[in-house]
Amino acid sequence: MDIPYTVTARKDTGLFNSKVGIWLFLASEVMLFGGLFSGYVFLRIYADYPWPERALPIVPGLINTFVLIGSSVTVVFAWAALKMREWRKFQIYMGITIACAGLFMILKGIEYKAKLEHQAVRMDDFAMIEGHAHYAVVDDDGNLAHSDTKLKAKKLGASGAKPFKANAILFEPETIDFSVARAHGPWVEALLEQAGKRKSKLVTTENLFLYGNIEDYAGTEEDPLSTKGREKAESELVAKYAKAEEKIGHEFGESSLYIPSGTELSYNLLKKAREVYVSGRTHNAIVRTAILKENWKRVKAKMPDDKYWIQAPEAKIDAATQLDEQFDAQGKCVAGSKVVSVVSTLSFAMDPPQPIVINRGWVKRPVKAKEGKAELRDDTSFNAGDGEGSAPGLLESPLILAVDAIDLRWMAQKAEEAGKDPAEVIEKSWLFSEENKHHKKYQRIWDNHKERIAVLEENLLKDYGRDKEGNPKRVPTETDRYRITWQDLVHYARANQNEERPLKAGEDGYDDLRPKFWNGFAGPNHKDEEIHKLHAFPELEIPHQKVSLQSMFTPKWNTYYAVYFTITGLHGLHVIGGAIVLGYYLFFSKGLYRRNPEWLANRVEIGGLFWHFVDLVWIFLFPILYLM
Amino acid sequence: MADTPEAIQKAKKLYLLIGMALFVFTVVTVAVATVPWLDFGEHGFDSKDAVIGLLIASCKASLVAFIFMHLNHERKTVYFVILLSAVMGIVLVFLTGWAFTDPIEYGDTVEGDGFYNPVEKTVPE
Repeated sequence: MDIPYTVTARKDTGLFNSKVGIWLFLASEVMLFGGLFSGYVFLRIYADYPWPERALPIVPGLINTFVLIGSSVTVVFAWAALKMREWRKFQIYMGITIACAGLFMILKGIEYKAKLEHQAVRMDDFAMIEGHAHYAVVDDDGNLAHSDTKLKAKKLGASGAKPFKANAILFEPETIDFSVARAHGPWVEALLEQAGKRKSKLVTTENLFLYGNIEDYAGTEEDPLSTKGREKAESELVAKYAKAEEKIGHEFGESSLYIPSGTELSYNLLKKAREVYVSGRTHNAIVRTAILKENWKRVKAKMPDDKYWIQAPEAKIDAATQLDEQFDAQGKCVAGSKVVSVVSTLSFAMDPPQPIVINRGWVKRPVKAKEGKAELRDDTSFNAGDGEGSAPGLLESPLILAVDAIDLRWMAQKAEEAGKDPAEVIEKSWLFSEENKHHKKYQRIWDNHKERIAVLEENLLKDYGRDKEGNPKRVPTETDRYRITWQDLVHYARANQNEERPLKAGEDGYDDLRPKFWNGFAGPNHKDEEIHKLHAFPELEIPHQKVSLQSMFTPKWNTYYAVYFTITGLHGLHVIGGAIVLGYYLFFSKGLYRRNPEWLANRVEIGGLFWHFVDLVWIFLFPILYLM
Repeated sequence: MADTPEAIQKAKKLYLLIGMALFVFTVVTVAVATVPWLDFGEHGFDSKDAVIGLLIASCKASLVAFIFMHLNHERKTVYFVILLSAVMGIVLVFLTGWAFTDPIEYGDTVEGDGFYNPVEKTVPE
């Protein structure tokens, strides 16, 4: 069957069909991106914290804008070439368009990578620090050593110790509890690897019987999970369980698990325990439903004239309700008897206790030393010992950074809200106090910054004067005053190069030392030789208890990055999708061109319309995300 | 719509010109955002800079839509679809805004966890 109106226009619309189709699709796309943009605008306008302003390096975005505009021109040229029946030219223009799409995605990838490697920390006093985490390693004495590169860190550590990003937590547990249902394989394996390297074992300390749907002993004194049950001789219990399983037609171990004391942890063991746990929960769900049904029947018989919401409180799931056992065709018990107790947590002792590196991204909430506990997001719990000489739990685990930006805007905002002088609050904060090992360096940076802002204030007054009420027409912004960017840090380091006579703000040549916006392609470059030589990005050790939020530059860090990754990610998917369609025209449409060139021209026009739309979205994204 | 070979040749020149204009506009956007003496409104980024940035972006978008996407001579059906999407787009923008007219009053933030406590706030009267 021939599809109508692929080449000629329909009389009623005056268009070939696919054009109506693409415009309807683009209309829906306008609404999709429109909704996201509007979300961004409202989030930004009503943000009650300082918004990251002009947070992205401009250059990759600028190049990407040029790339997309260029590709928009070439795609329309490709269409024109087809209209003129110039196949060779069409190939060239379409080839360039697809190459542009590739270049766009490569630049986007570089930008994303830089974000995912960039560390951000919010301290408990609302100072926000950005930088690159050092590499740390556990040395022979079980302490942390660190350096700015992986290689240097490796040399400092004990033999075989693996350097890790110095944003991790060091914890020496006495016992570790795993959630049977939720334990995450890779984390368990990582833990085992670490314990193995430090010649420590994770073992159970008591005989454990886990059972799924074997209900014979549940809730009775003979229940192996009850205190009395545990006192029973191991062999006696095994025999009883074997018998119970036999009754439901299972081999011993099929629906139960026996873990003798001293069993070593493995993820397979946890997986087997999970199966048993799930089977127990399934059994309980069936029993509970049966009990509830039965209870409803009884309640309805008792209160026949009442509405269900009056009956409801009476119809409780009562575990003690005895029901007649019901078996299915295979002889499996589906209802009846009692709810069994299920084991949801397995506890292992660390023998001997050794420091374990816990990725800060894995923990559920900030770890406090006094709680003696570190809880991971998979419900694994590391526990300190409680007696003397037992494992101390949280070890000193500072977050060590090479700092490339200091953002004090939030702290200043909080100070103003409390009616205090922001500068005073800032100068009294931890960063500039003697508690900070490197406070002198930071005081110097802050002094440099204050000087420069004072000169900026003076210059603005000189250039723009005062308004009628006598206030300066232009003043430095909060961002100028309270955010020290990586460009600032490099600027001050260059000015201070000559220790005996540092260049002061306002002096000739001072402003020329400032990096321009085209320096630092995708952000601060920590590998830059000059930056290394000048120590422009100073070291900082933030004590663990001072960190209230730490993250890479990901959606977790703030709303801006959540929006950034959502919209640019969605836009990136459009670029990939568009490139695939245009690529199809380029590589697989020679036949159609020979048969019906006008049809191909129409197809390319449709693909081109989509491609222009992708360009159009970027035209708004670039100023909104990069320049505002 | 450019359909004859001559018309297409002529249109190609226009496309090139528009491409150039878009490049220039992009440079202008960056200049307005980065060069101090092109900074409108207050010093640094403020609402005026946002409006100017978005105006330039709108100009660029119009050029792309009218010339590259041939909206300068399209059929009525297409204009109708675009009008519809524009109306819906505007509705969507205000849809988010309506959240702020939500009459439910939230309690104070709970110290530390950063989440709103949806416990009803008692207003002393």
